[in-house]
Amino acid sequence: MAFVSQSQRTPNESYTFASRPRPVGNRSKYREPPSEQTHSNYGNIMYDRRVVRGNTYAQLILPTTAQPELEAQRQQESRRRAIARKRAREQFRPSTPAALQGRKHIDVQTELYLEELSDTIVASDVECQTDAFLDKPATPLFIPAKSGKDVETQIEEGELFDFDKEVQPVLEVLVGKTIEQSLVEVMEEEELACLRAQQRAFEELRNNELAEVLRLQEQERRHSEEKRRRIAQQKEVLKKEKETAEKIAARAYTQQYLADLLPAVVTSLRSHGFFYDPVEKDIENNFFPWLMAEVNNSLEKRYAARELLDSKEI
Amino acid sequence: MAGYLIDPSRAPVAFGRQAVPQLFEELQQPEADGRLRALASLCDLMHDPERLYQTVNGGFLEQLKVLFEDEHSSVRAKTCELLYLMTAHSIGRQALLSSSLLPPLSQLMDDSSSSCRRNVHRVLNRLTLLPAGAEALLTLVPKLMLKLREEEDEEEEEEEVQVLLLSTLSSCSRLDALPALASDGVSLLGHRLSHRSSNIRREAAAVIMALSVCEDGKLQVCEESLLPVLVDLLHDEDIEVQANAAGVIMYTVIITTGKQQCLDLDIIPVLLKLVSKNKDEEEEEKERKSRKSRKALVMYSLRALTALAEAPDGRRLLLEQLPLLLRRSEAAEEDQDIRRDAQTAVRVITWTP
Repeated sequence: MAFVSQSQRTPNESYTFASRPRPVGNRSKYREPPSEQTHSNYGNIMYDRRVVRGNTYAQLILPTTAQPELEAQRQQESRRRAIARKRAREQFRPSTPAALQGRKHIDVQTELYLEELSDTIVASDVECQTDAFLDKPATPLFIPAKSGKDVETQIEEGELFDFDKEVQPVLEVLVGKTIEQSLVEVMEEEELACLRAQQRAFEELRNNELAEVLRLQEQERRHSEEKRRRIAQQKEVLKKEKETAEKIAARAYTQQYLADLLPAVVTSLRSHGFFYDPVEKDIENNFFPWLMAEVNNSLEKRYAARELLDSKEI
Repeated sequence: MAGYLIDPSRAPVAFGRQAVPQLFEELQQPEADGRLRALASLCDLMHDPERLYQTVNGGFLEQLKVLFEDEHSSVRAKTCELLYLMTAHSIGRQALLSSSLLPPLSQLMDDSSSSCRRNVHRVLNRLTLLPAGAEALLTLVPKLMLKLREEEDEEEEEEEVQVLLLSTLSSCSRLDALPALASDGVSLLGHRLSHRSSNIRREAAAVIMALSVCEDGKLQVCEESLLPVLVDLLHDEDIEVQANAAGVIMYTVIITTGKQQCLDLDIIPVLLKLVSKNKDEEEEEKERKSRKSRKALVMYSLRALTALAEAPDGRRLLLEQLPLLLRRSEAAEEDQDIRRDAQTAVRVITWTP
């Protein structure tokens, strides 16, 4: 809160103070809850050190300009220091010893002329009160007295400037710029439209040709597919025919081969003795060995007999 | 007049050569209002090619990257609008491609404010005017498809965004259809074909046409049974929708499955009706644009008929209608392309092995 204080030293050395009006600060509607520290902010006015008390005509008038303020502060400081010094000194200074028991010290004036000492100071009170405000009528409007000469002037139409002539360059610029801008925009749009139209025409032709190309491609593909299939089919047919011919040839040959086979086999088997008359075989295998064996036996017997006979010859 | 602004929403513009650099300096100030005003003035200036050239050559584009992450959505939206104006010229487009602004721009597609998203889509759409731009955007196609899928639920406000998105997709897919096909594009776009707005139908049909150039796309179109929807679209009132639908059909009937399905749907009379034209209609088509679209429609229909004539059923039907096509292939037809197409059609129909 900055405020500039102004004051003047009037000839009779009265103190004035003025400051720029400042707005009242915001404060809450309800008082804040009281805290323990209220004591330091709030004090009894009777015990406030800042309040001047006692003889005002006997006290020092505070100088109120800025520079002397500093001096005043310095003086206050020095005063405080002096007091502190004095107190310190007094502690060491011996004072009157305390009264003995049963006695009492009393202050006594020893001067020639006694004077009355009292705490009460002679003072007189003076009161003053302003009267209540009286209703007074509104102050009349202050109309200063007419003084000097009356002079008037009026600008007629056409005197200052000719509107139509003056407005021309301004209008030209305005209209010109607008038209320029719009021309540029229109040209841009035209250009884009041309571009798109050209692209579209191109696209259509391209699509057309592309369709034709694809159709022909497809046709080509179909034809080649067809051709391939037909060729494959032909090949199949040919292969089948060849196979059939081979089969027939093979069959004929085999038949011919086999035709000779049977008698040859029979002959060969017969020649190997696989076909036999069982009786004959049996006679051969069983009868003849037995017969021979019997014949042998009988011949043996005969020989034996002959031997015997021969040995018995003698 | 020192502190008085004529238009409070625009920053004052310095004269001549100093205009653009000074405005870009004003973009550095910390308060958003000043930045917005500077951006508004820049948008006005960018219509002029010379200023654009100065901006691009002065290397001011990098400053815009900082503005992409601004916390005020209106500043972001204005920046995207500025880029949109810059891509109106080829220099701007090339500069945008060569600078590294595309990744942050594509991140702004997920921005919270709808005007910002709309402007981003506008920029991407304009970028596809340049083939190199379309190529650069091919990497973004999966993300765009994701956006399309998200926007299936939202309706009205985003129609313009949808249209822009679809047209960007169609330009990219014309270059290379594989990314969009990989993200399951055909089924997604099939839903859009029955949207009530004709813009969306037109763009969706254009994307499908670009996708069906490739073999895979044709197969998918047949599988998703989009052909009945497309035949309906041939009766649509907007001629561009009809043209695009005819284009899709033209590509799809090249493969055998497509032929079969279309013949089942009895498509030949419809196409013939489109191809034929009365005398009165011819005189009415004085307006260039409608004549151009009409020409596209007729060309696509003729190609579709040519492809259908390769199937035996189709050929049988078309042999009956041969005089109509012969009329078209006559010299009376002033448009050379249509005449050529009609002659090809006649040749295919009357081909014998």
